[in-house]
Amino acid sequence: MKVIGFVCDWAVSTEGLVDGRGELKAYPGVHIVRIPCSGFMRPDWLEQSLRAGADGAFVTGCPYGDCLNREGNYLMRDRMEQLARRLQRRRVDPGRVAMFAHGLHDQQAFLAEVGAFLRRLESLPQPAARPVRPAVGAAAGEAAE
Amino acid sequence: MYRRALTWLLRQTVKLDVYINRIYPSDWNPLYYTGGLAHFFLFLLVLSGILLFFYYVASLDGAYASIRYLSEEVPYGFLLRGLHRYAADGFIVAVLLHLFRNWFTDRYLFARDGPWISGMFLLILGGFVGVNGYQLVWDQRAQAVTEIFVAILGAVPLAGATLVRLFLGSEGISAAMLPRILFLHVGVASFLYVLLWWHYVRLRHPKIWPPATWVLLLLGLLVLLSALPGTRPTAGVPAQPGVRVTAYPLDVFFLLPFWLASYLPPGVVGAGLAGLLLLGYLIPYLKREDESRMGPRHAGVAQVIDGNCTGCELCYYDCPYDAIVMVPSPHPGLTKAAASRKLLAVVIDSRCVECGICVGACPFQALELPRFLEADLMRRIAELVRARAPA
Repeated sequence: MKVIGFVCDWAVSTEGLVDGRGELKAYPGVHIVRIPCSGFMRPDWLEQSLRAGADGAFVTGCPYGDCLNREGNYLMRDRMEQLARRLQRRRVDPGRVAMFAHGLHDQQAFLAEVGAFLRRLESLPQPAARPVRPAVGAAAGEAAE
Repeated sequence: MYRRALTWLLRQTVKLDVYINRIYPSDWNPLYYTGGLAHFFLFLLVLSGILLFFYYVASLDGAYASIRYLSEEVPYGFLLRGLHRYAADGFIVAVLLHLFRNWFTDRYLFARDGPWISGMFLLILGGFVGVNGYQLVWDQRAQAVTEIFVAILGAVPLAGATLVRLFLGSEGISAAMLPRILFLHVGVASFLYVLLWWHYVRLRHPKIWPPATWVLLLLGLLVLLSALPGTRPTAGVPAQPGVRVTAYPLDVFFLLPFWLASYLPPGVVGAGLAGLLLLGYLIPYLKREDESRMGPRHAGVAQVIDGNCTGCELCYYDCPYDAIVMVPSPHPGLTKAAASRKLLAVVIDSRCVECGICVGACPFQALELPRFLEADLMRRIAELVRARAPA
């Protein structure tokens, strides 16, 4: 199981939770990428993560109401809804992306939610998302350029 | 040291939220609305203040009697007076919570110094208006407060005597004083709204009102406080200029510096206050962290990629700090979608807080954070996915 987790740098602290490669110790295969704000995520990047071969992707922001940038997590929550509809149109299961909201100290709650997300992913039919355009899946890094 | 202390305070502040969020849903956490709460109290103060104004007589002989008449003869007058008194306490508490919370949680970084500086002005003038309010009652506490305040003003080097004359209207306490204080109370309080405009000007959707539950709860609490016999503001003892006041009920929220003045010389208290406030102004400019170690927190001011911008205004609507403006496009964009654009997004550097929300808003890849490029992120994702062979 390969999952990319985009975590706002102001939200839950992953100190002690990740190993040297940025994977969660409790759930190997979950890679954590720190981002400036959950609102920084372009929803498309979640879809691209799936197309690159990840089984799932999630964003973690601060608790609703406490975004350092005032609205980043609310905006991201709205964008996730739009993304879910878009994924459905493209025959990708929207259950493979998720948005969490956890504060600096909520490490246990964060891990629990990631665990639940992984169990949900396991229950989904394989494969995750076939690349629409094979070239994107082959080298996702070029998709942005 | 400063950095480590603040990091500790940040962790404690956010830990407090964890406990509060267990009691309330995070949408109702009162600490997420400290500014809104302060604004709510200010609104109550203005409403009750306008009504109080109709009864108040600004003269040395009439002031105390008019307030006594209001609280004892006018139906529900005590409620009006109590609301004004306790809303003022609530206001200063909310303002201080707002200040410390935003300080400890780094909400003054980068372009957020405008709200911080205007907030310091609001704090100073709000405190000044509050002290004025105690003077207007013109009981013994008012007399003591006036004497201490005049002593502090008089201790200002060079300008002291002039400031006292400006404040009192004459050399000592005279008939000219109370109308002047009334104007300072009402006029400066009105000026708070000008400062609030500055406070809010770069915030899209400022949270200026707490959730309805809190409004009703606090309103009920204020009514209870002002109506119950134990906490209802009492008439006190009328002021007698010339007689030395030895004891008066202290309001811990506004009059703490005045309590200090009974132990320290007024010049020291004044200098201490001025020093504290000056430090307050400096907070956004004291370097908290080594900028090179801030990682994603300091990703650089957002930049528009001219060729990709379609002028769709999505970033303009989503930027929480009004840092993006749309200007008439000087030339067509390069991509197909951007070829017929009418507008072009422009980032105003001095307003950008480097959050990247505009990047997430832009479906056309027309915005980037210079130290957190999309291409790098995509490459990293591809590497992460490829790092482990698929199961």
